[in-house]
Amino acid sequence: MSAQRRAVPASRTPAAPVRIKRPHHFLVRLTHWSNVPLLAGLILSGLAIYWAAPVFQHAPDPTTGSTDYFADLGVWIVAHVPGARTYPRPITWFYDHFSIGPGQLALALRLHWFFAYLFLANGALYLVGLVAGGGYKALLPRRADVRGAVAMMRYYVGWLPAKLFRCPWPHPEVTTKYNALQRAAYFSMPVFGALAILSGWAMHKPVQLRWLERLFVNYDGARIVHFVAMVVLGTFVVPHVVLVIVDGWDTFRSMITGWSRRTNPKEAGHGAAPQAPPPAA
Amino acid sequence: MAPPRKPRRRLRDIVAETDPPTELVPERALAARSRRDFLIFGAAAVAAAAGFWWLLPDGAAEGKLPEGAIHALDTAAARLGLTRDRREKFLNRASLTFDDDVAEALFSRGRKVRTYTKADIRPIRNNYNGATPNPDYLADWKLALSGLASGRAETLAIDDLKKFALHEQITRLVCVEGWSAVAWWGGLRFSDLLDAYPPAPGAKWAAIESAVNLDGDGNSDPYYVSIDLETARHEQTLLATHKDGRPLPVEHGAPLRLLAPMKLGLKNIKAITSIEYTAKQPDDYWAKRGYSKYDGL
Repeated sequence: MSAQRRAVPASRTPAAPVRIKRPHHFLVRLTHWSNVPLLAGLILSGLAIYWAAPVFQHAPDPTTGSTDYFADLGVWIVAHVPGARTYPRPITWFYDHFSIGPGQLALALRLHWFFAYLFLANGALYLVGLVAGGGYKALLPRRADVRGAVAMMRYYVGWLPAKLFRCPWPHPEVTTKYNALQRAAYFSMPVFGALAILSGWAMHKPVQLRWLERLFVNYDGARIVHFVAMVVLGTFVVPHVVLVIVDGWDTFRSMITGWSRRTNPKEAGHGAAPQAPPPAA
Repeated sequence: MAPPRKPRRRLRDIVAETDPPTELVPERALAARSRRDFLIFGAAAVAAAAGFWWLLPDGAAEGKLPEGAIHALDTAAARLGLTRDRREKFLNRASLTFDDDVAEALFSRGRKVRTYTKADIRPIRNNYNGATPNPDYLADWKLALSGLASGRAETLAIDDLKKFALHEQITRLVCVEGWSAVAWWGGLRFSDLLDAYPPAPGAKWAAIESAVNLDGDGNSDPYYVSIDLETARHEQTLLATHKDGRPLPVEHGAPLRLLAPMKLGLKNIKAITSIEYTAKQPDDYWAKRGYSKYDGL
């Protein structure tokens, strides 16, 4: 090794060892990313099934002929959103954009069963990965979580005003893999996934699995739970993606490669990068 | 000397979150592994996008992507062999056949369908796919039975059917469209008809047809379903002649309809005109139009 080479700081030498941890088991990463196309397929086909059977129907609107709230939403969007004003059939706008379209029930059902069986298998694999990698331990709720979740919500709500007014706004201290709010979210995702699967089977086989139908009170109860589970799973994606972007490359990379350079537990968690000391200190 | 007792681990300690172990890895090896993982990730994302392009209905991207892009993607998909034909075949096998097999495996002849009380009864939609038939057919209505052990073809009038014991049940009819309704039905048990006119040995299916069914324009469009004899022999599978204690109205399939509440509504054929027992699985009106075939609930 040349002298010049040795002058490079040890941490930057390609052959130098780097300290890492492995926060995500391979199966957890695989099933995490598989959820993206699976949930997209389930929602695109599911809303086309919803089109045939709206959960929350209302009397036909005398002017638009709409009988459900998603059709109303389409009408509103076409009336108010610039660029959508020329849409030929406002009552199908929502279904044209968020499902495989109205009048596609046969294809929607086949796609939904296809994605549903894969989602079921994916969920089972996820649980295997959680147990095999011990990742479930970081998801289990604990006693201080309510206080921790409130602190995190306070942090997120105040973050932007604090930045605008240049106030110090320290991140609540997190010494575990996830903060309390993350833990609640990551714990409830598989719960809502399981609810979606169970309510789906309750609707799919209400006779042979009649005990499952009874679990959701009745047939329509299962449909409502199924719909709510879809909304929750879909809504989760928005803050999830935003916070991963805010948190940075290491977090994103760790979900693909399985390793992270954040080996200090004190700096674990979203947005928990240590604040640089003031230059004058 | 007794060996020291191993302390018992408590569940709380087993599930407790601990600081993750860290390790030292050469940066070069780490970079190589990352590169490989990102390449696999990218390839999987491209494959998933191609799969979506293939599975989504034709025209789904219309108006959302520039036409040139749609054309280019369609051409690329066709080159890869991702054709519409293959999609239909794939979905039929991967989705419908598989799901039907699951439904058939779940079926048990002894499992009763949930019954309700009269207070649960709700108005039921007339879901004739086309026009409701003109009631004129009722005057000379007959039920043709074939595929019997006797080798004969039987023709039954409604009075012949009224000789069977009348069974009543309040059950839920579940439509493939997602709505359902609890209704009060009465009729003879399909199993009683099977006992009185036994099917030929080896018969596994009943092909049931309604010759009076009409399409949306009012033209003749016979409707037909297949029912496995296991389901036909279920004690809650009726050949219904009554609704709400009165003879069936035309919009609900007068004078005779199938009432198999363990099957989707589309199997519950109205205005039956013929039943044939077969060894081979008969066709289904809706299965030819992309829906499932077994339709077990």
